[in-house]
Amino acid sequence: MVAFIIRRLLISVLLLFFISVISFFIVTLTPGSPYPWGELNPKVSPEVKRVFREKFHLDRPLPEQYALIMRDLFTGKLRSIKDERPVLEKIGERLPATLILNLGALALSLSFGLMLGVYGARHAGRLPDVLTSILAFTFIALPGFWVSYLLAIFLVNWAAVPILGTHTIGVDFTSGMQIFLDGWWHVMLPASILAIGGIAVQSRFVRASMIETMREDFIRTARAKGLDESAVFYRHALRNSIRPLLTGIGLLLPALISGSVIIESIFAYPGMGRLGYEAVLERDYPTLVALNFVTAALVLAGNLCADLLYAAVDPRVRLE
Amino acid sequence: MICRERIPLQRQNAVPVVFYLAQPPPTGKMRGMPRVRTLIVGIPLALAIVTMAALWTVMRASTERKNEMFIGSIAEPATLNPIQAADSASGAVLGVIFNGLLKYDAELNIAGDLAKSWEMSQRSTFFFETPGDAARAAVNLEAASKDFDRLHLRRRHAEGKRLILELSLPGTADSEELAKFFGDVHPLSVSTLSITAPKPLDNALGEFASHDPSAQIVRIWTNGNLGEVVFLGDANAVAQRLREFLSNKIGADGLAIEAISAPAFLAEPEIQFRLRNDVKWHDGVPFSSRDVKFTYDAIMDDRAASPRKSDYELVLMLETPDEHTVRAVYRRPFSPALESWMMSVLPAHLLADLPPDQWPLKFNRAPIGTGPFKFAEWKTNQFIRVVRNDNYFQGRPHLDGIVFRVLPDPLTLRLAFETRQVDFWAADPWAAGGFKKDARFTVFSSPGNAYNYVGWNLRRPLFQDPRVRIALAHAVNVEQMIRYVLYGYGTQSTGIFTPDMWFFNPHVRPLEFDPEKAKRLLAEAGWTPGADGILMKNGERFAFTLITNNGNAVRSDIATLIQADLKPLGIEVKIEMYEWAVFLKNFINKGEFDAMVLGWALGRGFDQFQIWHSSQTGPEQLNTVSYKNTEADRLLKSIREEFDRDKIIALCGELQQLIYDDQPYLFLFVPEGVSVMWKNAFRVRRPGPDGEWIDEPVTMTKAGWSYYLEWFYRPEYAEEAAK
Repeated sequence: MVAFIIRRLLISVLLLFFISVISFFIVTLTPGSPYPWGELNPKVSPEVKRVFREKFHLDRPLPEQYALIMRDLFTGKLRSIKDERPVLEKIGERLPATLILNLGALALSLSFGLMLGVYGARHAGRLPDVLTSILAFTFIALPGFWVSYLLAIFLVNWAAVPILGTHTIGVDFTSGMQIFLDGWWHVMLPASILAIGGIAVQSRFVRASMIETMREDFIRTARAKGLDESAVFYRHALRNSIRPLLTGIGLLLPALISGSVIIESIFAYPGMGRLGYEAVLERDYPTLVALNFVTAALVLAGNLCADLLYAAVDPRVRLE
Repeated sequence: MICRERIPLQRQNAVPVVFYLAQPPPTGKMRGMPRVRTLIVGIPLALAIVTMAALWTVMRASTERKNEMFIGSIAEPATLNPIQAADSASGAVLGVIFNGLLKYDAELNIAGDLAKSWEMSQRSTFFFETPGDAARAAVNLEAASKDFDRLHLRRRHAEGKRLILELSLPGTADSEELAKFFGDVHPLSVSTLSITAPKPLDNALGEFASHDPSAQIVRIWTNGNLGEVVFLGDANAVAQRLREFLSNKIGADGLAIEAISAPAFLAEPEIQFRLRNDVKWHDGVPFSSRDVKFTYDAIMDDRAASPRKSDYELVLMLETPDEHTVRAVYRRPFSPALESWMMSVLPAHLLADLPPDQWPLKFNRAPIGTGPFKFAEWKTNQFIRVVRNDNYFQGRPHLDGIVFRVLPDPLTLRLAFETRQVDFWAADPWAAGGFKKDARFTVFSSPGNAYNYVGWNLRRPLFQDPRVRIALAHAVNVEQMIRYVLYGYGTQSTGIFTPDMWFFNPHVRPLEFDPEKAKRLLAEAGWTPGADGILMKNGERFAFTLITNNGNAVRSDIATLIQADLKPLGIEVKIEMYEWAVFLKNFINKGEFDAMVLGWALGRGFDQFQIWHSSQTGPEQLNTVSYKNTEADRLLKSIREEFDRDKIIALCGELQQLIYDDQPYLFLFVPEGVSVMWKNAFRVRRPGPDGEWIDEPVTMTKAGWSYYLEWFYRPEYAEEAAK
């Protein structure tokens, strides 16, 4: 077990190195360069551009730039080109908002996905199952930005409620309950859009897994014991079929922190997706490299966790 | 096998799960199972119920309006340090926190802000062989001329080999005319060398001056890697010796020494500002000339990497004779310099002891200024809030504060406006018409200071004949373009300046849409239809590629309409679109294109040297179409050296007409900026010129609808504003 973890960690370090090199060259070899004031600006003299390029080491050869960026990243001194704030501080600032949003989306997709999946499996082949299946496939097919706009226009025209940002601006709520509910509203709205696809996929997953479990031998044993069909279904079949679902959560870690560019922009939500998107447009190399690095590290950590969790839950799996 | 398949699917005796909660409690035999069933339904249900409760809370809450203004912006400010900011999102916020020495008034005339008054003058120094010559020139001048007033001459005195003239208006023309009265003694002409070194010059130029007295250096200036020497010796010989000296001292790699065309005498303009003495920073510390000096030093400091440095590179020195006086002396006449003093002033008492690399962490996220509103909070990617400065030197603003919200999606920004979460909306042209008809809104529109154009690459033989360019202008229906692309919100452009500028020439007549005339001109230029209907000349077809950047609907529409307009004339246009960075790097900066669609968003200044002068056609320079006209070069240079308002208007008018006649660009249109406000959301109550209070609706001024921002108030809070 320990040997396995150590080996995986060493491989991860190697992988991270390659990922950081590739991501650095992808962002820096993209045409364009970071000029915060626009390139066709008559006010900016060549001298000013030279000073700017020197300041961010943009005049150095690429391998040297890479080394400098990695050095600064590990010493925590890496600064964004846009506003010269430490990149880790910028990432840390967005992380809570993104985490809350994606945890909300995760809660919605797991709970509703489970409910619809179980409902479909319980009534497999009959009308309720057909209806939930149609619903699930419709959800999978809906483009998120389109639903967001429809929902936004509907809510604004019907109820004239604030939908943007993380809380209502311009209103002072007095009680803690109101502040909580206001925050809840502003998170759940984008989260429900993010969850639409998740609900659909999870419900199909649960349904298929349940139907399969119901054909297992131990279910026949349970029935043979004379258990009520509901007890067989909910106690024995359900527990066995949601186990693979739980291990899948580990793999959701990167999605939890990487954020969503489009939904976050539409709902003016201050998350990581927007940070990355804006950094791409501004050719903010340090921010991009750091973001890629942090995301990659979390993906690797997520994979490792998933493997460990799998071994813990399923006795048939052994880590060597 | 068969059994396993069928049993679970057919034994459907339980009610559907969603209705389960209404069922009677299960018997003891089914222990554990109801918990699972309840959770499966209960958790999603609870989530939905809490969300509905949240919706209800939010719906009920959003009614009362605070005495604040909400402004929405697509982008987030990069920094709130005025000397480092260059984006418009930062500019909007900085505008209410900081002040400059000067500002534009509502009519776009230059007015005092932190400066009570300002005065311009110039010292022109002429050099002679001997002190005797200088004295004789002074006597001759005295005897010959009677209209010193017209030539703005205040005082003159000989000082050794020099004759110094003090003028009340900077510029070169007056001094040159005065020099004609020196009679038979001729002044020595001065030469100027500009130096760009690979390393900071430090004292290298001073050492050269003492090392080489025959160069007769009369002035040196250094700032970092840049330097300048003015001398009386032989220009080529001195340049040669200076190059050798500097190569030995700091290395030849990257060393550039070039002669620049400057007046043949030493012309040193000066602007003296008298500062207000009733201004306090938001933290209560009084504002003084020390802050101005500090701001200037900070801009010139490379560590701050200010994009505004080039505005001040002609400053020879900045002096602060007392707490409330600032004097800037320039190396040569440069009239656009005055506007650079609209630059916001930084607080020296907070920043002087902080190295510039610490600013982004502290000051740039929480600035202290002198303006009508004080910085309060910045929630990244959400909003910036400023609150009223009760001690503002122009008087206490009416609003409690302003919230600048970052709403990155254009559609939701509009929705936010429609639900009154933001008070203003910069409308797209296609939507503006609807708002204009709707009585609930007030629409402000005015020609902006930007224009769109097609640039003909004059390096290509195809576009070198002016008749061809004029024909192309006649062939394109600009009026139709304004109607289709801008929904009527625009006017035809008549050249390099836009109509809102005080130096705009209203007499330039736009070239009208006239395909027949276009055909005639093309025929005159030797283009006749070939076998396939495309115009031919000397075996060449009239075909070119029109490029623009993608992601800009207006520009791609323009390209399509031009293609359609030119086709009937037998001109084949191929349209290509590239991503912005590729577009600049591979085509525009290299000058490798036939024709391109672009736009200029201009400042308020009249100096367009970098866009039109023949010296600016190199790679990455801004005269991208390679326009070269000696008369235009002369005008561009004179405009920079002219300080007399009427003369600037005359010169700019001439330049605008000249370039329009040459048609290096096909000047298309000036789009109108459209802003929408909820009707009566705000009124303005501002001090009038005679100290009375003027109460009026928000109106469009030449400087925009938000010019009187600090005097806006919400009618609901009218009593508060009247106090």
